[in-house]
Amino acid sequence: MSRWRRSVDELAARRRQHECERAQDALSRVTSCFQQLVASLGSSADGSFLRDELDETRTVAHRICSGNAWLSCRLLRLLSDSDSAPSGVQDRQVLERLWVLFLSALEHFLYDLRKACDLIGQFPLAERSNRRLLVNTGCVDGVVGVAARVASVQLPWLTSEVEPSPDLTNHITGLETMMSEMQQRVPVAFWSVEATQPAWAEARGEPDDLVESLEDLMEVEIIAGSQKTACCGLGCIA
Amino acid sequence: MTIRNVLRDHGQRYRPRMACLKKAEKVVLEMQDPATGVKLQPQRLVITTIPHAITGEDIVAWLADRFQIDAQEARSFGSMLVALGYIYPIQDHKRLVVKPDASLYRFQTPYFWPTQQWPVEDTDYAIYLAKRNIRKKGILELHEQEQYNRLHKWMNHKWDFIVMQAKEQYRAAKERKKPDRVVFDCQERAYWVVHRPPPGTVSAMDYGLERLIDPNAHEAKTPDDYERIMIFTQQSIMRPRVKSSVSIGALVKYCATYKGHDPFLSKCLPSNPWLTDDVTYWALNMPNVEIPTKMRVERWTFSFGELLSDPRGRDDFRLFLKKEFSGENLAFWEGCEDLKWGTAATMKEKAEQIYKTFLARGAPRWINIDGKTMEITVKGLKHPHRYVLDAAQTHIYMLMKKDSYGRYLKSPVFKETMKKAVCPEEHKFSDSQLEQNARNRRPSLSPIIIRQQEQEQKAKMAASAPVDITQLCRFTTPVPHLAVYSGITDPPSANASPSLPFLAHTPACPSPISVALDSTSASERRAEASEGESEGNPEARASAGGNVSKSRVALSLRRLLKRGCTPSSMFASLSPKCNSAAGTSSRIQPITPDEPSQAPPRRIGNFFQIKVDIPPECRIYPIESEDEDEENRAISRERLGTKEIICPWESLTPQNGTG
Repeated sequence: MSRWRRSVDELAARRRQHECERAQDALSRVTSCFQQLVASLGSSADGSFLRDELDETRTVAHRICSGNAWLSCRLLRLLSDSDSAPSGVQDRQVLERLWVLFLSALEHFLYDLRKACDLIGQFPLAERSNRRLLVNTGCVDGVVGVAARVASVQLPWLTSEVEPSPDLTNHITGLETMMSEMQQRVPVAFWSVEATQPAWAEARGEPDDLVESLEDLMEVEIIAGSQKTACCGLGCIA
Repeated sequence: MTIRNVLRDHGQRYRPRMACLKKAEKVVLEMQDPATGVKLQPQRLVITTIPHAITGEDIVAWLADRFQIDAQEARSFGSMLVALGYIYPIQDHKRLVVKPDASLYRFQTPYFWPTQQWPVEDTDYAIYLAKRNIRKKGILELHEQEQYNRLHKWMNHKWDFIVMQAKEQYRAAKERKKPDRVVFDCQERAYWVVHRPPPGTVSAMDYGLERLIDPNAHEAKTPDDYERIMIFTQQSIMRPRVKSSVSIGALVKYCATYKGHDPFLSKCLPSNPWLTDDVTYWALNMPNVEIPTKMRVERWTFSFGELLSDPRGRDDFRLFLKKEFSGENLAFWEGCEDLKWGTAATMKEKAEQIYKTFLARGAPRWINIDGKTMEITVKGLKHPHRYVLDAAQTHIYMLMKKDSYGRYLKSPVFKETMKKAVCPEEHKFSDSQLEQNARNRRPSLSPIIIRQQEQEQKAKMAASAPVDITQLCRFTTPVPHLAVYSGITDPPSANASPSLPFLAHTPACPSPISVALDSTSASERRAEASEGESEGNPEARASAGGNVSKSRVALSLRRLLKRGCTPSSMFASLSPKCNSAAGTSSRIQPITPDEPSQAPPRRIGNFFQIKVDIPPECRIYPIESEDEDEENRAISRERLGTKEIICPWESLTPQNGTG
């Protein structure tokens, strides 16, 4: 009887673990898109569209992070791990790893959020004259693709209740409190977590589409017979 | 999760220092204004055209025009903007300068502007490196590779996150349109060139220590601020003033005096080690060198402070004072300095030592300070602290300065030193010699070793401390018949220890006493003395004296001493001025029944004025050096197991043997 119970528990644990991993992936995706968007704040690509996209991305992220299922799932398992001895050291290590990764992701996201807050404060778009202040960086809004990517993110679990997403400052404070809470309640020694892949692993084995280096992209057309030594800096390693 | 080991900022995260950043931002915003800013041009690439590029010459021209400065300055200003990261070069992206030609630049997006508020994170750098790794299949620059390895080691716990994030960012970037993608990549690359420069480059973001307040923040004036201003102005009204003519005169005098001694303003003989790499100058001016240089000796004449602060000068002065028999002043002064600068743990003992040695009535090296100062000092010693002896020290310092210093400068000791002082020849090195010197540079002695040597020397000095004449004459009269009793007609100066140079000066002093200057252990003497204790027996004494005459040569100095000691009490009683008022003198040592008391007499200021105040049974304890005193006390303390009288305000009962 108890063995059956235990196997059920294990299965449940595995499923939750997979959910967490998928949620982690989703969070990464959302945060990276968020970074792309924030990078355009204050530049010539800035505009109400960008800001709206920013808000939506934030909402998605908020839903992933602060979903109750996420927290309870993690916390419960890690806190109660002292009971379930048979799950073993391996499982605990995996959990700790996931925990640390999640906290790192949160931290990274928080950094971007703060920057976004600053930039929005520095470049308000309330009036038309403010548009003159936007820095002409060469970007002319190309964030549509990014927005689409964000939209394609699937949440690992369905949230029944749709909380209203908080505005930027509240979001920041909320995340901060959540992080500190998490760090205090669960004593995980993050230095004991190890990476699963060795260094330089990502350099090999990217079998997807051909990678264009920056030099290729920045190749300048050489007008025949012109004086211009149209050098784009190919000499130096980009 | 990051381990936040920020430099010791005491919890203050935001410590802006670069006030220039805000100002640079303003300038950049002006520059990029489409109407009045720098002229924008498109950058033509193979795949596309990217707008909003500016040329170097346009930047320089605009800056020169806007701020009304010349081209050179405009160029440096522009380079500063590039170095800070507000503008980045598109071609030659590693050199952060503005080239006043057609090379292209672009404005950096505000996301990548430098701020001190949010310091640049290593996590981001790791993600960036991982992205580059993916892109360039592992071909990174050398310093980037090193950084990558380092970050992989230190951020191992979140490395999975970093790689995952790098991949995601890479994919997200691909979603953008080509020109924007190029721009973003350029921006990111430029950002990291500014904030993680390759080794050997000078980074504009290197701003040193962080400051407490934001120079750009607006500080509202609070009532507290005004109160402070009021207090400050009130205090400055009350400050004592010096006429500027006086203070300027003092400055001029100082400059004129020290001008020749300043290695910046005048030549350093033989040569300045910093310039020629030849350390003769330092070797000649070591603190404990035998023969000082002429410049150094000249410096001693400038002021008493100079003399004292130079260890060699102090030695010379000490020698002089020894000859004058007022060495206790300098010793006291040094003891006070020791107390002031010493460790707190030893302070109490030091204060006690000093008191017992110098200040107590009948102390072995009593210094002559006026009553009021003595009172203050003694009162302060109830609760000794570092500066308790300050008043006395100042008094003694002024005494030495006004009295002894002048005499020192005219004394034969000083003249001798000055005559012997060496004046080194100036070095004339050729270039090749200079190179050789540079090659032969060696580090100097470690300060630990120097300190050990100093301490050894101090200990040595303390062990062979000079004795002051006042102590010598404590129990004696300069009466010839002393010699009769001791049976010694001439002072055995030959046998005397070498540390008694002034034997020659004191012919009248009875030899046993002078012999007694030999620093032997008091306990031994005591032991020996107790053997021969047969007071009140003149015959014994006479015979002892006779013994002395017979066996002077054979006996060791110590025994001589002992024998010679016995009659001295009789001398004392024979002394015309002796008032054998027993028990009225204060004691500084506890008395044991088996030991004779050491009655400290009234202090004698003058050699020839002897007021001896000894009870008849007192035994002359020959002059002991300070540490014998201490040894005495230590031993007696052990024997008695009682606490000594330290506090002078407690009534000193006539000897009853208790401490």
